[in-house]
Amino acid sequence: MILKIFNTLLDAGPTVMLPLIIFVIGLIFRVKPAKAFRSGLTVGIGFAGIKLVINLLASNLGPAAQDMVKNFGIKLDALDVGWGAIAAVTWSSPIIAILIFVILLSNIVLLILKKTNTLDVDIWNYHHMAIVGIMTYFVTKNVALGVAATISMAVITFKMSDWTEHLVKDYFGLPGVSLPTVSALSSLVVAVPLNMLLDRIPGINKINFDIKDAKKYLGFFGEPMIMGLILGGVIGALAKYDITKVLGIAVNMAAVMVLIPKMTSLFMEGLMPISEAAKKFTKTKFKGRKFLIGLDAAVVVGNTEVITTSLIVIPLTIALAVVLPGNRVLPFADLAVVPFRVALVVALTRGNFIKNIIMGLACTGAILLAGTKTAPVMTELAKSTGIDLSMAGGALISSFAATSLTVSFIVFEVFTGNIMITVPIFIASFMAIWFYIEVIKKRKKGEKVETSEEKSPVLQ
Amino acid sequence: MQGGIKMKRVLVACGNGIATSTVVATKIREACEDQGVDIGVTQCKLLEVASKVSDYDLLVTTGKFEGEDVNVPVIGAMSLLTGFGEEETIEEIVNALK
Repeated sequence: MILKIFNTLLDAGPTVMLPLIIFVIGLIFRVKPAKAFRSGLTVGIGFAGIKLVINLLASNLGPAAQDMVKNFGIKLDALDVGWGAIAAVTWSSPIIAILIFVILLSNIVLLILKKTNTLDVDIWNYHHMAIVGIMTYFVTKNVALGVAATISMAVITFKMSDWTEHLVKDYFGLPGVSLPTVSALSSLVVAVPLNMLLDRIPGINKINFDIKDAKKYLGFFGEPMIMGLILGGVIGALAKYDITKVLGIAVNMAAVMVLIPKMTSLFMEGLMPISEAAKKFTKTKFKGRKFLIGLDAAVVVGNTEVITTSLIVIPLTIALAVVLPGNRVLPFADLAVVPFRVALVVALTRGNFIKNIIMGLACTGAILLAGTKTAPVMTELAKSTGIDLSMAGGALISSFAATSLTVSFIVFEVFTGNIMITVPIFIASFMAIWFYIEVIKKRKKGEKVETSEEKSPVLQ
Repeated sequence: MQGGIKMKRVLVACGNGIATSTVVATKIREACEDQGVDIGVTQCKLLEVASKVSDYDLLVTTGKFEGEDVNVPVIGAMSLLTGFGEEETIEEIVNALK
């Protein structure tokens, strides 16, 4: 009987399921029913809105991307639809409710065991951890594996937040907080080893130039509507459209760039009461203990160095997408969130400009490749939640979030690979890194703690 | 027009103009509603502040704002995210908008 009701709701699709799931999660966190209901409905409206915008994006950009392949052999047919769309897909998964509590529980357990200091009630950014489990579940049809993948993401995220606390405090000047935002942390897996490598090149730390004018000349890369307009126009031209059509796609892409965040903020608005309730709940549970409050990395991306680095990495990433062998991701919506991907890189080098550009680009390059590799799964998953890609002319979808992020990609590959081999290697590597950072490094006294974070498993 | 008093406008900026700015904007809206202060709240990305801020009476940021000079008062609202010192910040913001 219950199963029958459940199946009926499931058949109705995410637009119906999503408000319901949020409503129930809200009730569990003791949000008042009326408020929880509004929350659920707001999130559902956000999802409906995102679907509309993705449709606008895919039906414009998809065919143009295909023409670009035909005309110039530029094979960029995995459209970057942006993290907002991915978050929407994530929140509409049938197993999202389980995963949210699994993540929160992982945090509470680690806090009780004193294995982490990060109190992460930024429920909003749970989607980065949840999507890996959802994609694992989608591929393997195994809930346990999906849950295990999400727990792995959660543990890695909390540990990396602990390990990067000093960067947040010293470089960004924000004491008492850490940043359990996967989209920011993930870059360190690429950046930390690369940083060590670059440090061996004599003199590289001495090359330092200031590009104060970057903002003046490249500022439009920071303005979504202008960037959408220009990119849309260029892609239309490369598709050899006539002028009317070029102008049309340019304005439509500007619209997409502006509308996606508006729709996504409805998501945030809906989730806020739940997030606040969770904050209250966990805070009373751990009264008297000193924490690092986990915050969205949005609080550090206003840094001038981060912005300057981003403004240069954004155009370079577009160029890289064209020349990088094997890449099929057409960078678009997520160019707006490149600052998150480079923020901790900048902190790691303490603002060494040349290193920031090299490492920032290496990070976005890794994102493009992982995004290409996992685009087929992401596309199927998105279709299953009712995102309409029929007008996209066979193009795939991808983003700079989900399994495009290096950490998420590794965990996804571990849990969808030959788990008898990959999981033990993964656990052993992570434990080794943990041990190295928290035991060996601490022992090396005298020297100030070097800027080194974590490097995840050996799965190449 | 309500009583001829011009409604104050506040710009809330964060990294991507979505997540943390929504939290702060909602809290400002609720607090002002409670105290009967009529305001208009707009959210944006930190990168867009320079091109937008001149139309507003107050700028509230969720992180550290160290960009160019702006000619309106700036209040940092990190405390609305961490929950420590929340009331003081809200009071400061509401007073600035009265």
